[in-house]
Amino acid sequence: MTELQRDKTFESSGVSGTLKVVLHDVSGTLLRTLGTIERRGYDYRDVHCTQRVDGDFDLLVRIEDIGGPRNLDILCKQLERLYNVVSAEKVGRRKRAERA
Amino acid sequence: MTTATQFAKQQTEIFENRAPKSGAQLLLEAIEAQGVDLIFGYPGGAIMPVYDVLPRTSLTHILCRHEQGCGMAAIGYARATGKVGTALATSGPGATNLVTAIADAYLDSVPVVFITGQVPSDLMGTDAFQEVDIVGITMPIVKHSYIARDPADIPGMVAEAYFIAGEGRPGPVLIDLPKDVANAVTTERHRWRPYPKVKPEMGTSENISRAETLIRAAERPLFYIGGGIAQGDGVAELRELVERTEIPVVSTLKGLGSLPSDHPHYLGMLGMHGLKAANYAVQECDLLIVAGARFDDRATGKLDTFAPGAKVIHMDIDVAEIDKLRRADVFLDGSLKKNLSALDPFKDEPYEKAQIEPWRELCYSRRSMYEWDYDAPGNGVYAPKLLHDLSRRAPDSAIFTCDVGQHQMWVAQHCYFDDPKDHITSGGLGTMGFGLPAGLGAKLGAPDRTVITVSGDGSIMMNIQELQTLHRYGIPLKIVLLDNSALGMVRQWQEVFFEQNYSEVNLDDNPEFSKVAEAFRVESFVVRERSEVDAGIDRLLAADGPILMHVKIDTMENVWPLVPPGRSNADMMER
Repeated sequence: MTELQRDKTFESSGVSGTLKVVLHDVSGTLLRTLGTIERRGYDYRDVHCTQRVDGDFDLLVRIEDIGGPRNLDILCKQLERLYNVVSAEKVGRRKRAERA
Repeated sequence: MTTATQFAKQQTEIFENRAPKSGAQLLLEAIEAQGVDLIFGYPGGAIMPVYDVLPRTSLTHILCRHEQGCGMAAIGYARATGKVGTALATSGPGATNLVTAIADAYLDSVPVVFITGQVPSDLMGTDAFQEVDIVGITMPIVKHSYIARDPADIPGMVAEAYFIAGEGRPGPVLIDLPKDVANAVTTERHRWRPYPKVKPEMGTSENISRAETLIRAAERPLFYIGGGIAQGDGVAELRELVERTEIPVVSTLKGLGSLPSDHPHYLGMLGMHGLKAANYAVQECDLLIVAGARFDDRATGKLDTFAPGAKVIHMDIDVAEIDKLRRADVFLDGSLKKNLSALDPFKDEPYEKAQIEPWRELCYSRRSMYEWDYDAPGNGVYAPKLLHDLSRRAPDSAIFTCDVGQHQMWVAQHCYFDDPKDHITSGGLGTMGFGLPAGLGAKLGAPDRTVITVSGDGSIMMNIQELQTLHRYGIPLKIVLLDNSALGMVRQWQEVFFEQNYSEVNLDDNPEFSKVAEAFRVESFVVRERSEVDAGIDRLLAADGPILMHVKIDTMENVWPLVPPGRSNADMMER
């Protein structure tokens, strides 16, 4: 293989944080939301889902970067594209992991 | 969480004592109510209740010979007409055969509603015969999807599905219909309330003003346009803005035709197989005005070397594209048509064209310097020249569909387009086998226009069964099959990047394509020499019915220029 073909090794950006996602109470929405988080390059470490008075659900997800777009704002916009996702936002502080 | 049915009943009005109708009846009536007159499909066990009702509707059904053909024909139809396409298949393998088409529609933002049969509700989840979880399988590649659980939901569900497929950034929507729901008769109707997704109509006046300031200050501005121009119905507005500002333009594969190929301000396609004048302009511009494009890796090359000195104005209806790969100095979300129309950088002061004149002269002198050379040695057919001549002799309104590989890039480089709907290609997914079914779908959608499919000997074999669909319905599609007896693009990469270690790319055992076409009762002929090309094009264009022109070309011909993967667009390799 020539030098041109060598793929660059993925270097984690170390982005992690917690997202708050508000979902309509519709079958498949939770799966769609978690799937989008994973496919866009994040692992979810902790998931809490509670129903609100208005019937919607608050989803709190702690996530870690595994090669995503390295910008949680973009991830939030991608989640908000989903039907039955009312809103998605970062909560708490976003921290950057120390690199070796 | 509750089911969709429970949600519908909580949130919507329920109308009772309506005429008793089955789920299948309600489905097809709801499709008709969307103004659909043509659907592509293939029957099978779980979808039989729908096919039982189908003859009693106004819908014209096109029976393709493979579900993948149905899906890609629906994409071709949607892209040629601007309408939402419809494809229908049964459960299990019928549904999985649609998956590539669904992914294609997703990657290229094409509005298509895919409807699949499903095993009866009580068998779902039991690994029943021809059961797959098609909603789960396709979740990453649909804009939205549904499982119909109650026939009373179907009218609202179908209306919403067509709305979602076409609104905003278009895309595929899937409806999975269990057989018992299709058979069940109901007197109820549930009215669905669309979920209010509040989206901005256009960029804020502040951002439009900031964009205008950047344009006025730029000395080397450049438009970088993509498929969103056509999908956002912004062609006229783009042309008006370009002519007013006289700023040079480069296009992605999907943006071709947004400006006519011979437009004085158009530099050509950028990217991996882009024109040198276009790639150099991107590298040297100081302002990149991005309209309906998404910084795809095939367009940008190594991202951090792409337009290194440029500020960026990014217009896109999909706000998730803003800042995804390249930070925008100014973003204009919402309707591209409205944003392009609102931009008027010189409304308050005279346009100082002299400021960008040296830049324009540089761009246009390079365009002249790097014009294509159609002289090729020998007597063999030179595919770029053939495509150049064909597209200029075809009617202006001709539509080209193509497959994927070397011929796809030659079409993009050498054919003339003056409308983005003239060029239907699988840009995002890069689906071999796309061209023939997409071509028949486009021809059915635009029967008054000449439709030409350019394919390769690798690609055409992937959906060659659709020749029978051409014969069955007498669809006068014109096929140009460029046969280099190889998987040409892979062979080229093995030659250039893998030290000529050719592995599984030799197709010199291809069938006699003209005889294959003959077996499908499609007229065909062979062109072997350069001297036969003119007469071949004459015959192709004059044919009244479906026709295949089988063209033998040199196996070792390559597509140039080529930006090696992972390299800057400035590092173009040449012949």
